[in-house]
Amino acid sequence: MNVIEASGLGKRYGHDSTMVEALKDVSFSVPQGEFVAIVGSSGSGKSTLLHLLGGLDRPTSGTVHIDGEDLYALKEKERAVFRRRKIGFIFQSFNLIPVLNVEENIQLPLLLDHRQPDKVYINDLIRTLGLDERRNHLPSELSGGQQQRVAIGRALAYRPAIVLADEPTGNLDSVNGREVLELLKLAVRQYHQTVVVISHDMNVAAEADRVLRMQDGRLISDTRGGNGA
Amino acid sequence: MKSYVALSGRYLKQQRKRSVLTVIGIVLSVALISAIGTMGQSMLDNMLRQAIYEQGSYHFAYPSADKKLYDELKNNVLVNEVGVYKEGPETTLDGAFKLTLAEASPELFRLGPIHLQEGRLPQNPDELAVEQWMLAHLPGTPKVGDKTELTGPDGNKHTYAITGVVINSRYGQQEAESTAYTLLGGQSASTGKLALFVTLKPGVDISDHLDQFRKMSENAFAPNNRVLTYMGESSSDDVNRVLGIIFGTLIGLVVLSTAAVIYNIFHISVLERIRQFGLLRTLGATPSQIRALVFREATTLAVIGIPLGLLVGWGALWGVIRLMLSAGFQVLQMEDFQLTWHGWIIGGSVLIGLLSVYLAAWLPARKAARVSPVEAVRGAGSIVRESIRRGRIPSPLQGFGVGGKMAAKNIRRNRSKFRITTFSIIISVALFIVFHYFTQETLTLTADTNEENRVAFSIYKNYSAPEVGEDGKTQPPKPKNDFLTKEQIDRIAAAPGVQGVYGNYDPLGEVYAWIPDSLYNKDYLKVTRQESSEVRKLDGADYRTAYAYVRKYDEARLKEAAKYLVSGTADPAKLEAQNAVLIVEAIKPQDPQTGKRTLLDLVHYKVGDKIKLDLTGTSGDPENEAVPAKFGEVTVGGILSQSPFDGTYLEHDLAVMAPVAVFDKLVEVMTADGGWQSTEMTGIDVALKDGADAGAVRQVLQDTVNSLPNARLSDYVAEQKNERQFILQMRIFVYGFLAVIGLIGSLNIVNTVQTNLLLRRREFGLLQAVGMTMGQLKRMASLEGAWYGVLGSFWGLLFGAGLSYFLFAELSNLQGMPFRFPWGGALIACGAALAVGLISVQGPLRRLSKMNLIESLREET
Repeated sequence: MNVIEASGLGKRYGHDSTMVEALKDVSFSVPQGEFVAIVGSSGSGKSTLLHLLGGLDRPTSGTVHIDGEDLYALKEKERAVFRRRKIGFIFQSFNLIPVLNVEENIQLPLLLDHRQPDKVYINDLIRTLGLDERRNHLPSELSGGQQQRVAIGRALAYRPAIVLADEPTGNLDSVNGREVLELLKLAVRQYHQTVVVISHDMNVAAEADRVLRMQDGRLISDTRGGNGA
Repeated sequence: MKSYVALSGRYLKQQRKRSVLTVIGIVLSVALISAIGTMGQSMLDNMLRQAIYEQGSYHFAYPSADKKLYDELKNNVLVNEVGVYKEGPETTLDGAFKLTLAEASPELFRLGPIHLQEGRLPQNPDELAVEQWMLAHLPGTPKVGDKTELTGPDGNKHTYAITGVVINSRYGQQEAESTAYTLLGGQSASTGKLALFVTLKPGVDISDHLDQFRKMSENAFAPNNRVLTYMGESSSDDVNRVLGIIFGTLIGLVVLSTAAVIYNIFHISVLERIRQFGLLRTLGATPSQIRALVFREATTLAVIGIPLGLLVGWGALWGVIRLMLSAGFQVLQMEDFQLTWHGWIIGGSVLIGLLSVYLAAWLPARKAARVSPVEAVRGAGSIVRESIRRGRIPSPLQGFGVGGKMAAKNIRRNRSKFRITTFSIIISVALFIVFHYFTQETLTLTADTNEENRVAFSIYKNYSAPEVGEDGKTQPPKPKNDFLTKEQIDRIAAAPGVQGVYGNYDPLGEVYAWIPDSLYNKDYLKVTRQESSEVRKLDGADYRTAYAYVRKYDEARLKEAAKYLVSGTADPAKLEAQNAVLIVEAIKPQDPQTGKRTLLDLVHYKVGDKIKLDLTGTSGDPENEAVPAKFGEVTVGGILSQSPFDGTYLEHDLAVMAPVAVFDKLVEVMTADGGWQSTEMTGIDVALKDGADAGAVRQVLQDTVNSLPNARLSDYVAEQKNERQFILQMRIFVYGFLAVIGLIGSLNIVNTVQTNLLLRRREFGLLQAVGMTMGQLKRMASLEGAWYGVLGSFWGLLFGAGLSYFLFAELSNLQGMPFRFPWGGALIACGAALAVGLISVQGPLRRLSKMNLIESLREET
């Protein structure tokens, strides 16, 4: 079964002379448990695509189905709730809440849903991420690699349908970048997650089950089983 | 952490500085409201107390009633108390003093303006209370506890025991008449003419029922208007409506300023964190959850800020009054100020505080909830899009080098922040201007005073030895001897505590001023409904005539008059040299139909103009054209804002104050061919300094009186002291009011400007990093502060003046008066705004200069 189903996605910004067509008629689908990399040069439309997959923005045309739900048929509030339950985000600049510690940052999506976190799962997650010693630290007290691991933890906390990562290794050195990549792969294996990663990093593309290449807002190639490892 | 809402607490703690600034904003606003409320209420209480002291506490009266009406009132369910007053026979004492016996019911002693000085009020029909000065004239010169004999209600002589002494009235002593009170006997009450004084039960809406009671005796019904007005129960709907509009405007302005201050800080606080809110949105927070977070912050801050605000408001008020008492109003005690925390003020302050906080949080909360998640995640840096306006009009700040150029750009770069900051200054400036204007006008309306309220003693010729007949013409000319010698006057003036000794002279009898038609204000004719009055011709020119009230002013009086000069001089030597007088152009006529008074200028003379005085007076016949008019001419030497003595404004007449020589010259013209006019000093008024020892002065005066034949000392120290205290209290309230508003307004500007700077630390770090020196930075920030002051002052002045005019228009419904542009308040407010704007940037700048560059750069925005 396909977890992600994108069809005819288009996105335009601005009007008339200032109009930019960031995305043109993009269609693809992703089955559960796949690790997909989207690559392309800067301005190729990959970030826009990711935002549309995550329900952050609205497409000008086309639809996105996540886990069978038509994302843009939902109301604003429903989409917010859907997002926190079904979609996990990881950003290049970590984007942790500075006033919350590691554990609280990870639990935040659950707390927004007025739910008490599953202690066993969260503890397991924190251990897996190697943050056991740091669970009471604030983001400002962590290294970049550690912060990104917290972000991964937050993305996985709700056991979402998909994890969307926007250049997750972009701000990290190669050692930490490697580590983050391993963790994402681990998520696919251990929790049977579906992960979509945007990256410039050829290492990321090399590790992915499937590579989508973007150029000028279009999907120009779809390579399966790149490496598989 | 149990729930996401705990986030708001975390934010507040993390952003301690911002939270503190916001709390300060709330504290100041609530302090302003509660201080103004308390001050206003205390002022009103004070005016009501004074009105009750002077008029009595009854709600309405029937001056001419009978037993039937009394019974009706007694049985009316709405009526609380009915006081009965019955005028009895008159006794002439010492051949000159009239003492009227009045029978009063016990209720009347409570409801009427009767103030006991010593002893107790009568409790039996054979007991008596009299004014203190009467004791010396009663048969047997009794003291409290002694007996005396008077004509009783039945017309026969009765013996009364004197149980109490009431405070001397000035009027009575001047007119040589007084009232003695005894208890109303049971039989007396059932016959004859009674005056009834009524109060309604507590909780009864008085104004609603006045008509009903008016109908019970249409022709003799007298509401206690002053007291009712201050109770908010005026019989006139107009008055109640006008008061409602005025106070509504003032309160609305305060609420607006409160909301503006809090909104300002909240807005900035939310704007700076909008990225955080966007992030929460990507994590799946719904807009309502974000709103809830902001409102929760607001609630937390309100819970801390509001009680503190109440305390600060109270403290500021107390401090200001304390300060003023020690700075020059020593005559009053702290106990004289009954500053009470009325429940409605606390409740109202809390309510308005909460309302303003939520109102202020609402827009920012909405903004935060509407943040697009995409915007938030799209890279680092501020998410606040600052649209830099390209100034169409180059800012004057451009002329101040790089710092000036940067300041000009900074001010304009974020329109909403700019607007809010300026608005908050505008509202502070406008608030001060409006309150300054309003309180000054109220002071003129309610505590309309001059030097007269300092006069505590007078020495007159004794009435028991009349020298002047009723008809001046038949009397032989008097020797021109002053009643007191210069030495005597000097001795009194030298006594400690004496402010001044002023000679009393008879005014010139029946003098008309011929005023050129062009200098005569026709509005007077409109107000008094005499539009049909005609111009009079003299030597081919058009004139109007008005009665001139010409008084003789000795040097002591002229010295006091100088305080009221609008233009010209009050120097006796200069005036006499130019044959010049002082005049008051303003009068306060009454509309004969509506009874409304209007303050206006009767004439438009300038200093140096000549006034033609028709001195035909009593020797001629003003109605008879055949008798040629005798004219005297004087020069306008000085124009006064109001009369320094007597009533502040005359109703119809031109007030003329002539120095001794000028007055005597006019008399010479007047009496050249017969007639008589006294020019000698007939007595003196003695004014006391605030807090002077009246006893010592009384002793000096008594000695003087004892050495004079037929002299009499009038003593109204108690009355004068009460009046003077009321006026001083009103002044302190007014200045205290303004001080509190000024203080809180300044703090508001400080807070606004500082918030603006402190939240830009990172930017300042950046500017330093690219090579801006601390000096340039300081220049930039100071210019910004000053410029905010300039803009805020400009708009605040316009707004404040506009609102003042609106209040003026409303006040004019109560009493006509000319609009005076609020220059005074404007000057103070604008100057202060500028200075405060400039000074308030210095503190944050000092802190900034001590900060580590790297740290400020690293700071999360």
